[in-house]
Amino acid sequence: MTELLQNLIDGLGRGSIYALLALGVAVVFGIMHMLNFAHGELITIPGYLTFWAFNNGWNWWTVVPLIVVSAVLSSLLIERIAFSRVRGATDFTMLLTSFGVHFIVAAGFLLYVSASVKTIPRPGWFANTVSVGSLNIEVFDLAVIAVTAVVLAGTTWLLQRTMFGLALRAAASDFDTARLMGVKSDSVIRGAFALSGFLAGIAGVFWIMREGQVTPTAGINPMLQGVLAVLIGGLGSLRGAVLGGLVLGLAEVLLRSWLPLGIQNLTTGFVFLMIALLFIFRPGGLLSVPQVERV
Amino acid sequence: MFPNKRRDVGFPILGSLVLFAVLFGGGLIYQTILGNGSAERLVTTMLIDAIIVIGIQIYIGNTGILSFGHIGFGAVAGYAFAVFAIAPEEKLKRIPMAPFGLTDVQVSPVVAIIIAVLITLVFAFIVGIGLARSGAQSGSVAATVITLALLFVTHEVAKSWPELTGGNRGGISFGIGDSLQSRWPVLLALFGAMLVARLFGQSRSGRLAIAAREDNLAARAMGVNPLVQQMAALLLSVAIVSIGSALRVFEIGSILPDRFFFDYAMLTLVMLIVGGRNSVTGAVLGVAVMTAARELARRLGQDGFEAFGIGLDEAPLDWIFRENLNSIVLGVAMVAFMIWRPKGILEDWEFDQWLYRKIGRGAESKPERLSELDTVPDAAFSASDISVSFGGFHALTDAGIDAKSGEIVGIIGPNGAGKTTFVNVITGMVEPTGGRFEIDGADLSGKQSFELSRSGLVRTFQNLRLFGALTVRENVETAALVAQEHRSDRVLRSTDALIAEAGLWEHRDRRARELDYGNSRRLELARAAAMAPSFMLLDEPTSGMSDSESITMIEQVRHMAATVGAGVIVIDHDLAFITGISDRIYVLDQGSVIADGTPDEVQANPQVQAAYLGSAAIT
Repeated sequence: MTELLQNLIDGLGRGSIYALLALGVAVVFGIMHMLNFAHGELITIPGYLTFWAFNNGWNWWTVVPLIVVSAVLSSLLIERIAFSRVRGATDFTMLLTSFGVHFIVAAGFLLYVSASVKTIPRPGWFANTVSVGSLNIEVFDLAVIAVTAVVLAGTTWLLQRTMFGLALRAAASDFDTARLMGVKSDSVIRGAFALSGFLAGIAGVFWIMREGQVTPTAGINPMLQGVLAVLIGGLGSLRGAVLGGLVLGLAEVLLRSWLPLGIQNLTTGFVFLMIALLFIFRPGGLLSVPQVERV
Repeated sequence: MFPNKRRDVGFPILGSLVLFAVLFGGGLIYQTILGNGSAERLVTTMLIDAIIVIGIQIYIGNTGILSFGHIGFGAVAGYAFAVFAIAPEEKLKRIPMAPFGLTDVQVSPVVAIIIAVLITLVFAFIVGIGLARSGAQSGSVAATVITLALLFVTHEVAKSWPELTGGNRGGISFGIGDSLQSRWPVLLALFGAMLVARLFGQSRSGRLAIAAREDNLAARAMGVNPLVQQMAALLLSVAIVSIGSALRVFEIGSILPDRFFFDYAMLTLVMLIVGGRNSVTGAVLGVAVMTAARELARRLGQDGFEAFGIGLDEAPLDWIFRENLNSIVLGVAMVAFMIWRPKGILEDWEFDQWLYRKIGRGAESKPERLSELDTVPDAAFSASDISVSFGGFHALTDAGIDAKSGEIVGIIGPNGAGKTTFVNVITGMVEPTGGRFEIDGADLSGKQSFELSRSGLVRTFQNLRLFGALTVRENVETAALVAQEHRSDRVLRSTDALIAEAGLWEHRDRRARELDYGNSRRLELARAAAMAPSFMLLDEPTSGMSDSESITMIEQVRHMAATVGAGVIVIDHDLAFITGISDRIYVLDQGSVIADGTPDEVQANPQVQAAYLGSAAIT
């Protein structure tokens, strides 16, 4: 029982980061119908800035805003340079564009910064735990869960209660009609990318802390987890994205603890296997959005 | 299997020979001019990349589904090949504890390749089922993510199963001198890959896959089951990628997880995209162009490189021209092409088809007019009590019609009466909440749309759904291919004659998306007729046409139906058109049939007048 509770908290911590990433992917997907394979770069770019900042005497208090702000700016910049030019193109084109952006950023860091691993110091409290009864809970997990809860609440408020949120949801459900109704497409798309960048920034703070390092290809894993979480939850559903992230995190942690010792290093493989099974029995994901075929 | 032997078999063979000669010849010239070992290796690498890229083209090009996973399949094949082909004494150094006693196994390279292909095909079949379940179709995002996940799984397993794979750093290697020493196997495989890819593209299966790529819904309405064709394309493409990957391992002499991962997936995709993913010629061109571009970038990145006597490594440029420059070239090429030329340099231009049009086809003469069939095969359609509700809204309530071969039945009703919903139900695109429909007594309710069209109910679409990138002739041919398989008991008319009959003979080589509105409508009619249907369902065939065009269309519909012996069920809201064309008319209003009979009877019916002209008309 204790072990299960422990794992649940672990999994929620992990899943919270995925949920933030997935929500960012889902917001952009909703508005542009583009699955952003460059979403992970919103962690790589701030990651390198963090490395630079620590070398110049910054500390975590100043680095956290740096990460979030740089993630938002990177997101807007990438939209401006690349994605704005393929708006309305086929899904195929948009997928490959975002994939290409990932590759340019990764190759850019490889080429003009360094191919080697850059380490980033973790904060002092990172490994601390608090005991509740027989549970040993990592402070890091608690911080992730608490911050994610606050951010998700804020995002929900933004989407449900503000004009921007209304415009964004309208544009996500029918872009052309929303435009005819006077929603400014440029500003809504930019807003979506800013929001996506902000969510990635928050996730990035924890991701960078946990990894304690950054490499040119650091964006691949967060991107993959975010994208998979969106699919698990159901493409096109924001709530599904958050749920998918949490489920993915829990699945990883629980599987690792249940698998026999010999094959524990294959956990990722088994997680993928579970996802594959989910797709076979529920192709639309957990909260599948009905796809209407227009005749 | 092939609609036209000369065009679809002869010329592709000829074209593949030329393509092969050009690529290999170009490589030979390059390596002779440079005359060093590294140039020779570059050419060999290019030839192997070409095999893999052509393999990927078979899937992506014909189905329109973006796949990252083919390099994952390549990893499976590469490891399978390595484990079976490497000598036991070499395996003892790296994987002494390999599972299933594989350490002691050794077979000849050829047998190892066959084993590798078979193992990979099993994986591909399983993944293919998953893709089908996810509703894969052209541009499908979920399918792409599945393939991406596959790439990661294979990489992850290769890394974390060192007992079999030698792990992340060591890998497994051939003994010195055991790796591929001759180019012949590569050349053979490359030519084979080109040939197979071209023949598949021209084959029945390839054409049906391409039709589904262009418009999935329309393809299903023409009796194509896209999932079967996608699976065929997947298996064929994976087989070729597997052979290429095994050769790649054989040539390099070792395998590591990272060799078949993101970077290589990116490289092969960029090669395919740059040249033109919908064409084998394009794939080959892309391989050549990107190999050259990367080699140039690599040399620019080396210190002290000069081009045309100008040193590019001088101070201000030095920060750009660095080692690994070639890796960023890939990303830039990908994004630049997506923004400015998303379909690649050649789009879907195919060398052998161009050659065929230039020299192979000869003069074509317009076919004779088709005569109407003397005896029309008997067929009866009947739908009864069809109900559909969306949420609380009843689109159809107990609607039913009867039709038999040789007659034209009109369904009319104001906008929102449920006409299109009715067609959608009997063509399997909307599931009814109740009722049944049948042809010749055989219950068809609950069948999928491609099964319904194979049983003889073939539709056109109100808002035009042609296979846009295909020519007029290819559009009609697609339907004819399905008819040959599933409607062989009927009179099958020649494709060309139907095209001429629809008045499209002059436009036969134009792409469907270039046609004007009226011609597009006529092409839909010809395509439906080529299915040799028992009943043609025409959904507003004259919408958007002028009155005089509509009148010509009436005659064309009547004649076209008579030449293939089909009954016609036509839907429109235009009373004049429907009464002009129909033998019998059903009037739909608010989801129910309110009247039926001959045009005169229906026009005299007060309820119909009320529905059409408002109740004021009858008081």
